[in-house]
This record gives sequence, structure tokens and C-alpha cells, in this order.
Amino acid sequence: MSWATVVAARLRGLFEHKRVERELDDEVRFHLEMQIEDNVKTGMNPAEARYAALRAFGGIEPMKEIYRERRAFALVETTAQDLRYAVRTLRKSPGFTATAVAVLALAIGANSAMFSVLNAVLFRPLPYKAPEQLAMLWSEDPSQNLREGRSAYWNVEQWRSQSESFADMAFFDGVSATLTSADRAEQISVVRHSPSLFPLLGVQPLHGRIFSAEEAEQRQRLAVISHRFWQTRFGGSFDAIGATIILDGAPSRIIGILPADFRFDNADVWEPHTMYPDWEALRRARGAGFWAVVGRLRPNVTIEQAQAEMNTIARRLVTSSQRNRGISVVPLSLHAIGPRPRLALWMLSGAVFLVLLIAATNVASLTLARSASREREIAVRAALGASQARIVRQLLAESLTLAFLAGLLGLLVADAGIRFILAVKPGNLARLNEVSLDPYVLGCALALCLLTGILVGLTPAMTMARRDLRPSGQEGGRGISGGVATLRTRRALVVTEFALAIILLVGAGLLVRSLWSAQNVDLGFRPERVLSVSLAPPASTATAQRAGFYNHVLEQVASLPGVESAGVTSELFIGGNPERVVTAEGDARPVSERLRYRSDELSEGLFKAVGTPLLRGRFFSDADGPDSPPVAIINEAMARQLWLGRDPAGKRFKRGPEQTASPWFTVVGVVGDMRRQGLEKDPIPQMFEPLAQNPPRRAILLVRTSMDDPLKMAGAVQAAVRRVEKYAPVNGVTTLESQLGAFLTERHFQTSLLIGFSVVAMLMAAIGIYGLIHYSIAMRTREIGIRMAVGAQAGEIFRLIIGEGLKLSLTGLVLGLVGALWLGRAGSSLLFGVTATDPLTFLTVSLLLTAVATAACYFPARRAMKVEPIVALRQE
Amino acid sequence: MRSGRADKADVLQGTLILLVLRTLEALGPLHGYRIARRIEQISKDVLQLNQGTLYPALLRMEQGGWIASKWGASEKNRKARFYSITTAGRRRLAKETEDWRRMSSTIERFLGFDPGSLAEERG
Repeated sequence: MSWATVVAARLRGLFEHKRVERELDDEVRFHLEMQIEDNVKTGMNPAEARYAALRAFGGIEPMKEIYRERRAFALVETTAQDLRYAVRTLRKSPGFTATAVAVLALAIGANSAMFSVLNAVLFRPLPYKAPEQLAMLWSEDPSQNLREGRSAYWNVEQWRSQSESFADMAFFDGVSATLTSADRAEQISVVRHSPSLFPLLGVQPLHGRIFSAEEAEQRQRLAVISHRFWQTRFGGSFDAIGATIILDGAPSRIIGILPADFRFDNADVWEPHTMYPDWEALRRARGAGFWAVVGRLRPNVTIEQAQAEMNTIARRLVTSSQRNRGISVVPLSLHAIGPRPRLALWMLSGAVFLVLLIAATNVASLTLARSASREREIAVRAALGASQARIVRQLLAESLTLAFLAGLLGLLVADAGIRFILAVKPGNLARLNEVSLDPYVLGCALALCLLTGILVGLTPAMTMARRDLRPSGQEGGRGISGGVATLRTRRALVVTEFALAIILLVGAGLLVRSLWSAQNVDLGFRPERVLSVSLAPPASTATAQRAGFYNHVLEQVASLPGVESAGVTSELFIGGNPERVVTAEGDARPVSERLRYRSDELSEGLFKAVGTPLLRGRFFSDADGPDSPPVAIINEAMARQLWLGRDPAGKRFKRGPEQTASPWFTVVGVVGDMRRQGLEKDPIPQMFEPLAQNPPRRAILLVRTSMDDPLKMAGAVQAAVRRVEKYAPVNGVTTLESQLGAFLTERHFQTSLLIGFSVVAMLMAAIGIYGLIHYSIAMRTREIGIRMAVGAQAGEIFRLIIGEGLKLSLTGLVLGLVGALWLGRAGSSLLFGVTATDPLTFLTVSLLLTAVATAACYFPARRAMKVEPIVALRQE
Repeated sequence: MRSGRADKADVLQGTLILLVLRTLEALGPLHGYRIARRIEQISKDVLQLNQGTLYPALLRMEQGGWIASKWGASEKNRKARFYSITTAGRRRLAKETEDWRRMSSTIERFLGFDPGSLAEERG
């Protein structure tokens, strides 16, 4: 009888109670009918026959009662016995138990922690009403590689009125505003949005109310504040409602407070979309804009249906300046966590799961090694009448006990892991702060324990069960015959470990190369020793005086000792996907084109301060004042885009379509491209105008210092700004290098995790092969002795052993490399500056793993060389 | 596996197991009624078998892995559960038989012994 049918019978007992009862009834009825028939044959009349049959059978109900009890009891009894025995066995070998539990606890813990991240970030539904109906709507332009473009008001209104798929749409835009209080001013994050946003999301204010469509239309300065803002600014007092805050120099009245769990763009203040000073102009703009749009699908409308409808609408709205303009519909959940972080999360989860598999494989191999030495014990137990099924069950009970002990410890590991993840906050993953050890994670840990227990126990148990146990009992202690089957299985396990380890190593290698490429990418500017400070002139300052403020600040800062150069720009790093229609003078007539485009204002000295080279033309000068014709410096990308192969100096362009009233800019110079969207994004077309011609409300002051730690200059620079304007907001003091470093946090985190995983995997594989070779030599001592006795040299024996090890590790390696090639394709978007099939990485990690495998085989092989033939032969 | 103590506490049960295993070994797969009748035939009137007690015993033996059961058609083509002995069951039978022989010969000798033979053994 196979162990499988026993397990099946056991499960049937558990889950098919009714069927078992019915079968017993059938059996009893059959018995009685047979007896009655036999009785009738002996001459009884039917009634007598029936009575006699019942008497011979005895009490039916009491029998069934005993039957049922026995069925239930046997399950509990044998399980309890198995567990007691498992605990006793494990206690007898504390070294093995401690190692196995520790290894598995780390693996289960790491997997549970990873699952908690997956759960919080990907699985848990967004905290809005029917979140599956919510979708973002983006403008897209494949010719510009523009995927998630923002849209103009006019377009959004068209979508909204023409679409049947969406019940409603809302739009919003995040801006930065200066909040002024009695003694200080600071930048806060503000979202301007259409009144329909909160009803659409299904979010109610905690207190107060949300502005109405009429109030928005009348451009009333109203504000809804976040729970966090309410707590920090008003101490949670209800006086907040009706209070006034000064934003960008104008008062706004607070009318509502949002609930604590509402986090959206991390904003503090929410105000009507009409708050832009140039709203009347914005209202008429078409095409590209700055509104992010969120829509709620009507019930039973799928994303695909909505996308199809929006494609039609997009075609209808196309105008000459909007060629290739499409609309993409993206589920909100997919927007909250984009495809790349999703892929990164799955990659890390996969990696940590591979670690669990390797750990389980290793422990299974250890268990097999142990089972070989326990062969006699098991043979004895089999001889005493234990069925194979029972022995398998017992081995499984042992591994499950191991796994659950490991699981308990693993929860501690998971807890520590979650704390670590919360402390590191890798990248800017939305919802990461919701990570916790909740019932789902506990459930996952439980499932992992079961899986691990079965993985660890099944191979040894099956190997043992398949074997005829009697001969080895007769053979005595060495147990060689059974050892061969064990050895075969262990070889397969080692090959598996190497295959899994090389996959992780290739992944880690590719990420290291990507990190290295990202760190060494040509930024187009030199970030070292540069201090960065945000500053703004007091909100009341008139436009003309703002330029003066920046110039005075630059004069003051330049005169400080330790300052090499300084410049001011409206922004250095770019967020989002800015885009705009630009009209450029060509050879014949002006051409309008939609560009991914960014424009900034900066002082003459900025390029010098950050070290960006001038490629053609000139920098700004004092002559480029507010009254002289508008001039611009453009970057190489823009020069390429608008005037490919021609000298842009002296050419003119303007923002918007040809017929707009906006002024023409004359290009005076071309500078090198700067990576301003992060290290891994190619520079987009950029233009710069002189500060003097369009002084921004806020700016970044960049100071190149002679200090290795530019932060030492922070105090002096702040004091210099205060000398110009006592109450000017000065904050966001940091260095360019640390800002650039922040772009790499996520990559650093991924890379170091994967390195950690792959090192663990490699060590486990090494331990696995070491143990196997060690064991195989112990079993082959006699063979080695004979070989040596007939004249084999020690070197040949050494090569034999090393060769055995290498054969296994190389088999695993090749299998793993195939897997890595296959997986690499899927994960290639996580790489930077390296392909998923990078030969150097594949070669390096293969050599590394082979070296580790050789080292792991070296020591046992050395021992094999020293075998004394006489001793070896006498051993048997 | 069952400890020896539990076996001794349940001698009658143990005897029944021996009889069932022996029956199945000798006659091949049988349904419960046939097993019961066979045991009654062989033991004549010496053993009083309460037929119902056979079924919990069969269950226990199946749980121990000594016998296996399968639903099939009876001689009159009726649905019946057939029991057969397993490899583990044969081992168990061999051991039980040996134990039983040793036990019965010991008891035989014990009952048949006279002071003389005791002296002889001492001799």
C-alpha cells in the first residue's frame, strides 16, 4: 500500500465524513443481507432469518460509535505520536536542528517581510470608494515617446462631455506654494483640483466641507487641509475651520479637513483649480496642459471599453498642432504603483522566494544525509511493523515541526525586516508606510511554513519510502546500499541549488552593473561640492524687484570666503513629464511641434556654478535685461529637435502655436544636456531664459564651494540671504550630491538586497556541495582505497573528487544560466546601461560560482588524497 | 507504530487481528461478511465472535496499513467492500504468529510442567 493512498484515506477521513458514514452503512447493510440470505437457505423464515442475523451481528449503533471514535482517535493519536517522536528526534541532534531552524527562519522571515510589502503596496485595494472603477486619463504622443502627458482644460472638458464610459472625471495639479506666517515663510505642497475630485473618489471631509463648483467658478480663495497639516499647524483644534492662511501672499479661508487615511500626492492644502493667476488664459488653452485627470468608470464598463471609446474621442479632437495625440486610460492602482516598481517588487519577491527554495533544498539535503545514518533505526521500525506510509508520515512530521519552529522564529525576522524596510523607505513607493505584520502576512507565513515543511521533508521521505528497507537492516551499520539512492537524490538537490544560485547571482550582477552605469553616467554637470538652497523673495515683492533680490543675494554669496561661484535657477531637477507646443523658425516658414519640453529661468553664473559647458554661442550677459529683446539658451537636445544639423544660434522660437501672442525668443547659446530628471532618464529638450527678463517667484540657489562638505557653508549662505531680506524663506538646504544620491536610493536598495540574497544562495550551494562531496567520500573510502592499492596516484583521486563536484556544479550552472536568460528578458526594464544578456556579467558570476564550488570540494578532496589504502580496506 | 503495552492490554483484539490477517493471507481479498463467517467456521463454537466488532477491527488494521480495502462487486454482483492483506500486513502476521506460537508453547510448557522436569532443568 503506497503512502499516497494512506494520506488520501486520512484526508478522506477528515473531509469526507459523510461519505465514510454512508460507506459504513452500506457495508453493514450488505453484511446483514448476506447473513439473512444464508439464514434463509438454512430453512429459516424471513423474519427469523432477519432476527438471527441482527443477533449475530450485535449492537449496530454501539459498533458504529466505536468505529467513529476509532477513526477520529487514530488521527489524533498517530499525529500526536508523530509529533512527539519528531520533537524527540530533533532534540537528539541539536546541531542539525539549530542549523536547519535558523536557515529556514531567515528564509521564511525574509519572505514574510517581502510579502508584507507586496500586500500593502500591490494587493490591498486603494482606500477609495470602488477603487477598481477609477482610472487615470493621460494625453500621449508616441512620436515624442510621451506616455503619461498632462492635458489642457479644454481637452479635459471635451473628454468629460463626450465620454459615455466615464460617470465623471476630475482633474488636479500639484504645485508648490509659499505659506507665510507671522515670523517665517516656507514652501508647502498644494493640490489645485476640480470640485468633482472628492465626490469622485468617494472621500468625505473629516470636518467642515469641500468647495462647490460655484465657489470654484467664482475663484473664491478656499482651502481644504490635510489631517497632518491640521495636526501640526492647528494642533487638531476645530478653530482651524474658518481660519485664514496666507498662500503666495494672498489669504485663503480653510473650510474643511480631510481624513487621516487620505493621502494623495502628499499634499497639505487643497484648493480650487481656478487659483492660477492666469486662469482665464489657461481655461482657453488646448492640447498639452498640466492637469492630471482621474475618471470613474460607469458600472460594468471595462478599462478596455473605456480605452476604445477614448481612442475615438482622441481622433475626433485631433487638430493640426496635435498630430498623433492619443489618450491612454490607466487603472488608478497601476498608476499608484507604476510598472517599474511593480516589476522591481516582483523581482525581489521572486529572488527571496528562490532563497527559500535553496534553503529548503539545503535542509532537505541535510535531512537526507541524516536519514542515511538513520537507516538502521528506520529499518528496525519497519521490521517491527511500521508501514512505509507511517514512516513517510513521521519524516514529514519532523520536517513540518522544523518548518513551524522556523516559522515562529521567522515572524521575529519578518518583524525586524518590516521595521528595516520602514526605516529605509527605499525609493518613493506609494503606500509603503502601510506595511505591517497583519493577518494576511501571518497567513502567508503559515503557508510558507507548510510549503517549506513539505519541500524539506518530501524528498527524503520519498527517497526512503521507495527503497526496500529490509536489506540495509541486515547489512549492519554502514547502510551503503540505501546510500546510493540517497546520494542520487542529493546530487539532484545540489544541482538545483546551483541552478537557483546562479539565477540570483546573474540578477545581482546585472543590477550591480546597472548601479555602476547609473553612478557613472555623464550628468552634464558636476555636482561635487555644490550646496543647494531654495529661496524666494518675500511674497509681496513686485516682479521688477524680484530680479534685484536674486542679484543682491548672488552678490552677497559671491563675496563669502569659500565660495567659488554661485547661480540661481527656477529649478534644477525636473519632476513629471513636462511638454508643450513650440513654434520654431525654420528655413522657410515657422513649424509648430509638440515637444517634451522644459523651460527655466536662470542667472548668468549658473552654468559656470554647476559646470555645464557652453557648446555654441554665448552665455547671458548684463545686456539681456528686462527691456531688451527676449533671449534664450537651449540645450543640445532641443537644438537637435528643432534645428537638426543647423546652427541654432540666432534662430527664433516661441512657446505655443504660431498664432499665439507670446514673444519670440532668440537663441544666443547652446549648452550641453543635463540629466535633470534623474540619472537614468535621457535629457529632454530644455530652454533657459535670463532671470532678469522673467524673475521666478521661487528659485534654487546653487553655490559651488571649495569645501569637501558644502553643508559647512549653509549657515554663512543663509546669513547672506538674510542680509538681503530679513524674512525671505530660506530652506531645503542640501547638496547636489545628496539629491542625486536620492535618485539612487531605490536602486541601491534593490541591488544590495539582491546581492545579499545571492551571497546567501551561493554560500548555501557551497555548503550543499561540500556536504555532499564529504559524504560521498565517506561512502567511497573503500573504493578509493582499492584504487590507491592498485596504483592510483593521490593526484588522480583528487581530480576524481574535484571532477565529481565540478560536474554537479556545472550542470546546475548551465541549467541556471538558461533560466537567467529567460528571466532576464522579463526584468530588462529594471536595468540601466547593460543588457539582460550581458556576457561579462554571465561570465563573471559563472566563474565566481565555479570558484566557490571548487573551493567547497577542495577540502574534502584533500582528505580523500590522504586515505590509507590498508585502513580503508580494513574498514569494511 | 504501536507500543507493546497497548497490544498486551488488548489481547482479544490482538487475537482477532491475527485471525483476520491469517484468513486474508490464506483466501485472498474478502468482504467483511465472508471474513466473519470464515472465522466462525474455523473456530467452530470455541470463539464467540460478535460479528459487529469485526468492523472497528478492520478499520484499525487498515489504519495500521496491514490491510487495504476496495469497493467491488460481490459474488451476486452487489457492491461490497473487499479487504486484502498488504506487505506490512504479512510482516505483521509473521510476527504475530511467531509471538503467538512462543506464547502458547510457553503456556503449554507451563501448564504441562511437573516438579520433576523443573529439577531436570536445574540439573
